[in-house]
Amino acid sequence: MLRHEVVVVGAGLAGQRAALAAVEAGRDVAIVTKLHPLRSHSGAAQGGINAAVGAEDSVDTHIYDTVKGSDYLGDQDAIEFFCREAGPTVVEMEHFGTIFSRSEDGSLARRAFGGAGFPRTIYAADRTGLALLQGLWERLGTERFTVYEEWDLTRVVVRDGRVQGIVALDRKRGDFQEVAAKSVIIATGPAGRIYGRTTNAHSCTGDGVAVAYHAGAFLKDMEFVQFHPTALLESGILITEGARGEGGILKNATGERFMARYAPHVLDLASRDVVSRAIVTEVLEGRGFTGPYGGYVHLELMHLGKEKVESRLQEICDYCRLFAGIDPVTDPIPVYPAQHYMMGGVGTNIRGETNVPGLYSAGEAACVSIHGANRLGGNSLLETLVFGKEAGKAAAAYSERAPATVLHETDLDSATASFRSWLSRSDGEDPSALRTELQQTMDRYVGIYRTEADLMEGLRRVRAVKERFSRVRVVDQSKVFNLNLTDAIETEHLIDLAEVIVVGAYARTESRGAHSRSDYPKRDDAHWMKHTLAQRTPTGPNLSYSPVGFTRWEPKERVY
Amino acid sequence: MPTDTISAPFDIYRYRPGKDAAPRYQRFTLELTPHTPVLTALLKIRAEIDPSLGLRYSCRSAICGSCAMQINSKSRLACETHIGPEVERHGRIVVEPMRNQPVLRDLVVDQSPFWREYDKIEPHLKLDPRHPMPEGKATSMSPAQVDRFKETPRCIACAACYSACPAVEADPAFPGPMALAKLYRFVVDPRDTATQDRLVRIQPNGLWLCLRCHLCTEACPKDVRPSERIRDLKEMAIAAQGGTELGSRHAIGFKENLKGGGLLNEMKLVRATSGLAGMAGQVGQGIRVWRKKPEIMKRPRTIEGMDEVEKIYAALDPPPKEEP
Repeated sequence: MLRHEVVVVGAGLAGQRAALAAVEAGRDVAIVTKLHPLRSHSGAAQGGINAAVGAEDSVDTHIYDTVKGSDYLGDQDAIEFFCREAGPTVVEMEHFGTIFSRSEDGSLARRAFGGAGFPRTIYAADRTGLALLQGLWERLGTERFTVYEEWDLTRVVVRDGRVQGIVALDRKRGDFQEVAAKSVIIATGPAGRIYGRTTNAHSCTGDGVAVAYHAGAFLKDMEFVQFHPTALLESGILITEGARGEGGILKNATGERFMARYAPHVLDLASRDVVSRAIVTEVLEGRGFTGPYGGYVHLELMHLGKEKVESRLQEICDYCRLFAGIDPVTDPIPVYPAQHYMMGGVGTNIRGETNVPGLYSAGEAACVSIHGANRLGGNSLLETLVFGKEAGKAAAAYSERAPATVLHETDLDSATASFRSWLSRSDGEDPSALRTELQQTMDRYVGIYRTEADLMEGLRRVRAVKERFSRVRVVDQSKVFNLNLTDAIETEHLIDLAEVIVVGAYARTESRGAHSRSDYPKRDDAHWMKHTLAQRTPTGPNLSYSPVGFTRWEPKERVY
Repeated sequence: MPTDTISAPFDIYRYRPGKDAAPRYQRFTLELTPHTPVLTALLKIRAEIDPSLGLRYSCRSAICGSCAMQINSKSRLACETHIGPEVERHGRIVVEPMRNQPVLRDLVVDQSPFWREYDKIEPHLKLDPRHPMPEGKATSMSPAQVDRFKETPRCIACAACYSACPAVEADPAFPGPMALAKLYRFVVDPRDTATQDRLVRIQPNGLWLCLRCHLCTEACPKDVRPSERIRDLKEMAIAAQGGTELGSRHAIGFKENLKGGGLLNEMKLVRATSGLAGMAGQVGQGIRVWRKKPEIMKRPRTIEGMDEVEKIYAALDPPPKEEP
């Protein structure tokens, strides 16, 4: 049996930063990832990373913007810590080797982003995630640790009330492996593939979050799903908020700059939930464009000039030319919102600790919560690094004092029994078909605007998919790279998390941040200024609630 | 975008080493719009026809580098290759695994040779403890210094260049285009303090094995232009150390050789590259050449328009200017 002190699951920015912190603390660390670390979805982040380093800016303004952006659901103590760490974190990444874009005076270049009082988003062209991922991987490469590449996490083993290790499918060999570990850090990123229309990679199936939920961890605020305002029409490929930060503007089919009606002060750079709702409303009320791929609006960059567009938004130019067949230098970009980010995740404190001893989480998989009901652009890359490091430090300290792990040979057997039954069925449900049905359900019933009737129907359909999944069948009998088996494992995770999202959304009878109930259009601080906690039971999620952390900022109505 | 579909015949490489006697090609014909990416088609085949098809993929937007494969014999990302032009040009879409890496299953290859070369160039900043990074703040770097990286920060390590490279196929000592482009990225980094050492070490370790065919640059989906960065490394290596290898001595000799009269003096070039002792070893070859084409062994005349050649040399060796 393989044995390590700290096992980090996921090798994006949060996982790598956690691993680095744990290695630096002297622990024996292994990273388990379903991809190669450099192929992690962190690399797809485009716009930038926030840090209030400008002379006119301040950490307090960054804190305030984040609290306001969260629609007062973010924990203010956590947000204060988070924003104070921003400057040192960016400097550290620069010293690790990240190549950032620069201003003429040699300092880190900054651009404007949505919901921010000042231009505080530091960037590397429009591939900031890739630049950070390369810089961190290069720095981590100078340390000693183990990587288990192309492994699918299937179980966190908990015994005697604490973590003992994990079970995962090694795709290349085609068998399940057990790894003993005193602590496990879940850094598996998002679960965007719950939706059909998403900016997320195909690999974003929430494996770690679902496995943590199965292991008894509370999932927090899962009903808060961010829809990015500007995704390419047909493919859902992301067009960074940086495009508007550089001066891009949204227009409807009448040529009107419609954001003036929704956010008169900051227009196109309002917070993401506000802009996404505005676009959906324009289309619903007949002022959008129409085409074979549905309604949409235009994002215009033409007035910025060829030089600026091609240098600052180099990847965006490629995406538009390759995936939409248009040139943003001369043509408007057809955009419509798409699922983009999960504010919710495995519930943790600022040290990444969950309610299960030995289990930690960081990055998009986790919910601290700093984003509350709506995340600001530029805060997610920062979150991966700040809280990845904290989780790595805490897991290392815990592992140093934790007793020896207790894993039995039979653990592997019992943890993999269901997979053997999937493989041995002669008839049953196709995992890909179930995933498609789940995605269509979530797109249709659990989108940007929600109602009780839609959510009830959505829940009925999600549960029907879940019931059918109990008869899932894996047709492919080969061991090596059995993606049919991986499909089934991922689909089970997506179904579990979708159920938590719908149940939480149904219960929350208010509108806050990204959770917009048409039947309850107002924020209701008297009843709902609280975090949703979901715990797994055999019949579905059991909801409870916990208070929001307050320090200095009184809730106000959000106006942009 | 057009919504009319075309009929797209796919011939997909299928192979399970150890289980199948030999690779085979499986035909799938799909009705798709011309701008459908090959990856979308492959995922449709997996979801609707044959879930056992093995391939790597993730972001579907050309940023994760997972889905490089041979599409109609070219190393491409499946997510950004549209089926329309392929069908138009070739009548069908032949999909095969990348080259120069062993097949694990179908379109999935073992990338460990590729990553080993990447690791060998020591892809991390090397710092001199006597010159620490500025305490508590970012290194100052001008936009002009950032421009020196050229397009190398865009590399997504997809290995399309490694797959397309004939030097990788011919000589296991060649690090491959990606590793060398990555080396360039560290050599021009103003924060790195091992520039000289990196250049000295790469000269005898594969730098001169590049065939200058530029297939890597043609294959690269992110316009990193590895062959041009390899050329830059060669120039920097010669500037740093002079000619220490056959390859660099040949390059220097070639340049000096043509300066005289505009035509190649073969005898002088062999001597510049291999030295007198090396020439001795090539006497047999020399005699064969002399029998077939005696004029090659003679001192060449000075060509007409030598002043134009001199202008080229003047442009190649501009007076030294301040590095930014």
